[in-house]
Amino acid sequence: MAGALRVSLNLESSVPAYRQIANDLRRHLVEERLKPGDLLPPVRQLAVDLGVHFNTVALAYRMLAAEGWLELKRRRGAAVIARSAPRAVDRSQVDHLLRQLAHIAAELRSVGMTSRQISSALRRLAQGTRP
Amino acid sequence: MTSASWSMMLVVSVNAILFHAMPRFSRPDILFAVTVPEAFAAGAGRTLVTRYRAIIWSGATAALAIGLLLPAFLPGSVQGGMLVIGPVAGNMMVALVAWLLAHRKARAHAVPFSDVRVASLVPRDTSLPGGTLFAAGPFAILLATAVLVYTYRDDVRVGPITIKPFGPLVFGGVYVAMMLTMAVSLARRTRQIAVDGLAAAAEQRFRRVNVLVLVLTGYAVAVLLSATTVASIPGFGDAVMGRAWFVLMPVMLFNFGVAFWMFRVGQGGQRAVAPAARQEVHGDATPDYAWKVGGLLYFNPRDPAIWVENRVGPGYTLNMGNLRAWLLIAGMMLVPMIAARLLF
Repeated sequence: MAGALRVSLNLESSVPAYRQIANDLRRHLVEERLKPGDLLPPVRQLAVDLGVHFNTVALAYRMLAAEGWLELKRRRGAAVIARSAPRAVDRSQVDHLLRQLAHIAAELRSVGMTSRQISSALRRLAQGTRP
Repeated sequence: MTSASWSMMLVVSVNAILFHAMPRFSRPDILFAVTVPEAFAAGAGRTLVTRYRAIIWSGATAALAIGLLLPAFLPGSVQGGMLVIGPVAGNMMVALVAWLLAHRKARAHAVPFSDVRVASLVPRDTSLPGGTLFAAGPFAILLATAVLVYTYRDDVRVGPITIKPFGPLVFGGVYVAMMLTMAVSLARRTRQIAVDGLAAAAEQRFRRVNVLVLVLTGYAVAVLLSATTVASIPGFGDAVMGRAWFVLMPVMLFNFGVAFWMFRVGQGGQRAVAPAARQEVHGDATPDYAWKVGGLLYFNPRDPAIWVENRVGPGYTLNMGNLRAWLLIAGMMLVPMIAARLLF
């Protein structure tokens, strides 16, 4: 496991804390910085480190376990498992995410980014590199 | 000079040295229990520390002078107690007021608490140093002593205040269990402030040394109480009491060594780390407003941590806003009560 694996959250953000944690973890998983067999810290340890309630971290872990990324281990946190294939495509969820992406694209255009710049940033994001 | 005068001089001097060292035990950017910018700690903060120390040593000098002059004015019958209590209490009061004044001045320069939290996803070692078997050592010592006492139960001398033969051993067992509970809780329920790199390694080392101190304190208690118990068996007494020091002395020396090491590396081991390696670590990840009584007590019901780094002195303190911390305190208070019931 790489040494600089971090999770961060902003308590002032409108995004719920459990979702911020899950988003960070998912990014590490998708970009393969977290590999099958890697262990994540126990729920209570991560909650103490982040200064949030245990249930917040537990919810984030459960969310990723439901997506097939993690296997939850009682008192020992969670382990990354080999995700043989993505879950069956949930069309409504994909539509929801694409709508969110459309909103973000509109916001980016309204702050002055061109379509070309947005496409290029999205391509880099999809490839796992920073835009 | 009488022995009371010597005692007074010793206590006042040790007190002054401790208060003098207190600002040094904190993290580099915590001054008088307040999170301040590093530039302030290195600049105007130093003047604040110098003034604080000047008050500490002036108070100590005054206490010593009064303590040494008192015998000339007090009748002999009240000298003993007054000579020690008066100057020591006065010196303590001056030191506390100096701390509170400095704390108040530092608060004017406090850094706003950040709402951004960062944590490492790499699980850290939360086991007890030396493993479970090493941690169970004090119980083995107490158990072996209990077997010995049982074997010689007809010869055991009863103490002048009717101490039951197994009482100290049971007390030792409860005390060691408390120490281990604290050690486990400290290893698992303290916040890792530095996320990675040298600062994180220094912090983890600092934590494990603190945990080791608790485990070794369990050994010291087990040896001391076992030696005291075995001493009540004719034929064993002198030999055992003489040898107990071979175990207790290294533990005491280790504790003195740890205190000196903490003074050098500061809270969380962060003074031993170059500022660049501390990266975005700022303060100790606890809000200033949650620290009460000049930074002495931490009360934050929204913080899930049971233990947080002390802001006054080295080591860790309990989060008084956490129910589990109160359960630990209740356990620690029950120990003397159980002991009193068992011993007498």
